[in-house]
Amino acid sequence: MGGDKSEILQGTLDLMVLKTLDAMGPLHGYGIARRIEQISEEALQINQGTIYASLVRLMHKGWISGSWGTSENNRKAKFYTISKAGRKQLHTEAQNWQRISGVIGRVLRIAERS
Amino acid sequence: MIAWIRALASRTRTWFSPGAVEREFERELATHIELLTEENVRRGMPPEEAKRAARIRLGGQTQLKETNRELRGLPLLETFFQDARFAVRTLRKNPGFTAVAVLTLALGIGANTAIFSVVYAMLLKPLPYSQPEQLFNVFQAQPQAGVGGTGWSYANFAELREQNHVFSEMAGSQNHQLTLTGRGEPTVVNTSVITPEIFSLLGQTPLLGRAFLSEDGKRGAAPVVILSENLWRGTFGADPKILGNSIDLDKRSFTIVGVMPAVFRFPVLREGDQVWIPLVQDPVFSSWMSGRGGHWLQVTGRLKPGISVKQAQAELDAFSERLAKEFPAENSGWTIRFVPLQELFVGGVKSGLLVLLGAVGLVLLIACANIANLLLTRATSRAREIAVRTTLGAGRSRIVRQLLSETFVLGMLGGLAGIALAYAGVQGLTSLLPQDLPQVNAIRVDHFVLGFALLLSALASCAFGLAPALFAANSNLQSSLREGGARSGESVHRRRVRGFLAAGEIALAMVLLVAAGLLLRSFSKLMAVSPGFDTQNIVQADISLPQFQYSTPQQWTAFSNELLTRLQSEPGMGDSAVVVPRPITDGFINLGFDIEGSPAASSSASRTANYVSVSPDYFRVMKIPLVAGRLIDKHDVASAPRVSLISAAMARQYFPNQNPLGKHISFAFPPDSGAPREIVGIVGDVRDVALGQEPGAMMYVPYAQSPFWGANVVVRSGLSSASVAAAIRRNVQQMDKDLPVTDVAMMTNSVEGSLAQPKFRTFLLGLFAAMALALAATGIFGVISYSVSRRTNEIGIRVALGASRWSILRMVFRETLVLTSVGLALGLPAALGASHLLGHMLYNVSANDPATLGTVAATLALVAAMAGYIPARRAMRVDPMVALRHE
Repeated sequence: MGGDKSEILQGTLDLMVLKTLDAMGPLHGYGIARRIEQISEEALQINQGTIYASLVRLMHKGWISGSWGTSENNRKAKFYTISKAGRKQLHTEAQNWQRISGVIGRVLRIAERS
Repeated sequence: MIAWIRALASRTRTWFSPGAVEREFERELATHIELLTEENVRRGMPPEEAKRAARIRLGGQTQLKETNRELRGLPLLETFFQDARFAVRTLRKNPGFTAVAVLTLALGIGANTAIFSVVYAMLLKPLPYSQPEQLFNVFQAQPQAGVGGTGWSYANFAELREQNHVFSEMAGSQNHQLTLTGRGEPTVVNTSVITPEIFSLLGQTPLLGRAFLSEDGKRGAAPVVILSENLWRGTFGADPKILGNSIDLDKRSFTIVGVMPAVFRFPVLREGDQVWIPLVQDPVFSSWMSGRGGHWLQVTGRLKPGISVKQAQAELDAFSERLAKEFPAENSGWTIRFVPLQELFVGGVKSGLLVLLGAVGLVLLIACANIANLLLTRATSRAREIAVRTTLGAGRSRIVRQLLSETFVLGMLGGLAGIALAYAGVQGLTSLLPQDLPQVNAIRVDHFVLGFALLLSALASCAFGLAPALFAANSNLQSSLREGGARSGESVHRRRVRGFLAAGEIALAMVLLVAAGLLLRSFSKLMAVSPGFDTQNIVQADISLPQFQYSTPQQWTAFSNELLTRLQSEPGMGDSAVVVPRPITDGFINLGFDIEGSPAASSSASRTANYVSVSPDYFRVMKIPLVAGRLIDKHDVASAPRVSLISAAMARQYFPNQNPLGKHISFAFPPDSGAPREIVGIVGDVRDVALGQEPGAMMYVPYAQSPFWGANVVVRSGLSSASVAAAIRRNVQQMDKDLPVTDVAMMTNSVEGSLAQPKFRTFLLGLFAAMALALAATGIFGVISYSVSRRTNEIGIRVALGASRWSILRMVFRETLVLTSVGLALGLPAALGASHLLGHMLYNVSANDPATLGTVAATLALVAAMAGYIPARRAMRVDPMVALRHE
């Protein structure tokens, strides 16, 4: 049931998916997974399946929508598009994230110095 | 909010077409794998390898799908239905277990629902009036004289109605029986004599015609009557043109102005045929309206909204003080009390019903303990199954949820079966219930009662399901798997819980058995009581004389004289007499009296005795012995000196160390109120109020000197009751064809009928106690036989090592003994506490009657021993070879 996986991790993946869709336009699940791996310079070897849980969550919240289309090599695939609400959410979340990571970074620097 | 709705909508889609959503997702995953494979191939992997790598990269598809299902669907609901389906399958696989559990629960729920339907109808259901919580009965009371609440004089009532500011409306009423003639057989009809405001006070409009107007209540108004719907449909064939017609009540013509719907009841407890007439039109009460001293009018009022009970009481106190100042002779010492209408009419049955409800609740508790024990047993043998589930990745909460769903399904099955039982039970109950109880006809399993039954089933499921589920989920995974499941050892902790449950059942059963035993003993003592008269072979009948036609005491005496002469001349009916009121079956007339030559009694230490008017042969007919002096004879007529007889109890109580014969007593009662009467004889004591009440002071006067407008005839005869009844009817008809003869009955039956309520109580409590005993025995049997089957191996080793069969029997029996002793030790104080609640329902039995306690404890021990003996004998016969090979 994944209840134990921390909220932050889930939220991070959701945020990355949103950012990817925002930057790349409509993409299918595989495309999103590849893109995240490429961006992270293959440092983040995610279990690609987890993307789908994230996609369902984002759909429930109305931040993305999905529709069936044809992929670059002529396969039927489900393409996801970020919605207006999703962009707004991305904006807020990104700000939050930067603030928090800034704080954490400062805390870690202080810890190192002492 | 909107997001939430959207999520729900998209989830619900899954709910309605799970297949489509699932297929879509599979397709999505397939595309993903294909794309990933292509990528891998591009990187130079051989195709097979590429596909495998792609699969690994994506992760376990089954798990993905499972997560997807959970995310998309309505997880709780979905898993619940999944669990429920699974539970039904499991339960079907264990028909024996399921049948026992469902049946046990059905008994508990059914009994509770049936009793609750009675409690609901009698105690909880609001009265059928608008805003019934505002309605109160208002009494005059004289607490220092022991008068808790009585009626009003019309003059006092009229003043209260006019002057008070706390009741928005008030009305007075009295009840009466009048003779309805001119419609076939003359009949006696229940008549409510009322002031006109009663209908608007209770908020009821008529079905036909109009309610009474205030003009109808004034002196000199034309006589009008309102019929009940029942009477209108029955006697008058629902004639739509009935309004304006007239009927004869006590030979006087009344114009019908309205019909009240059947839902309307006033008096509160009366249903069926009845009429309402204005107070001024009643032959008796109208003549009492002018006086201020009487206490005969029942007063009902509606408290104004926003007025507190305290405010109302303050105003009523001020009013009663004013009355006492203005009319000290009639009103000094009197205060005013008011009681909610609902409370008033349930008062008599409340405690009995609550005891029954408590008893039946205990039965359910025992049933729950039994099922919990069964479930614990099963959970132990399912330990391996659960361990496997846990290993495969089921979380603890998931296991608990699954087990709870199982008990929930069990609970609902039991609940449904219980409701079916309750329907049958309610029918049985209503036929058993004494008909004089309030609302007997309103008892049914309606939606409120059904709701109660379902709630109870759910609660019961939680009660018996939670502990086993928690235990099961906590079981030690490794040991369960290693020890090969079914034979794995039961934890000490769990065994203790099982033992405690069984002992608890014995304790609860003891409470019920003691209560039932006490009631039974009390009832048998009541049945054995001698009322002081002989009820065998006595037929009784009521004749009521219309007062417009028979208006003078002389006419009443003449009527009864002629009737008795006629009856006594019938063959075999020489022992006939007239009495008002009859002992036990009629009400009693309690009067204060003075003894000539003694100081007048103060109101706090007043002398009272029950007054009875009888014809000379009454004592011979009823076989009441003469103790001293003489009986009433035919010379004691209206023109002769006034005489009276007193009971032995009255002689003892009020004439200690004196000879009462020749003394004179006087009391205020018509016809010749206050006239001194010489005591000419003392007769044996009679229980005239109730069988369970010790005989009190009684005084008898000759009917010829103190007649009534009617007579209760008692005839002792060897003839069949039917031919006696026929003879009475024939003679009455010959004298006046318009006189109804009512309430013809064998006196034995009506005296026994007065015990209907204790009988009902005793029977039901006995039934519940028997159920409790059976359930507790099953509980013990279950625990011991389970423990024996667990220990088969151990017993085998013991026998192989030389233990004798007897020592094995002793060993197993010791377990039963411990359970039983703990149960009895817990049960004794509980039973003692509970039996004190029975207090006033017991007759001549103390609440901690040692004989009852001893018998119950012995019975329980015996039953427990028998329940434990069967498995113990099995243990004794264990063949060591078989037992050892068993593993």
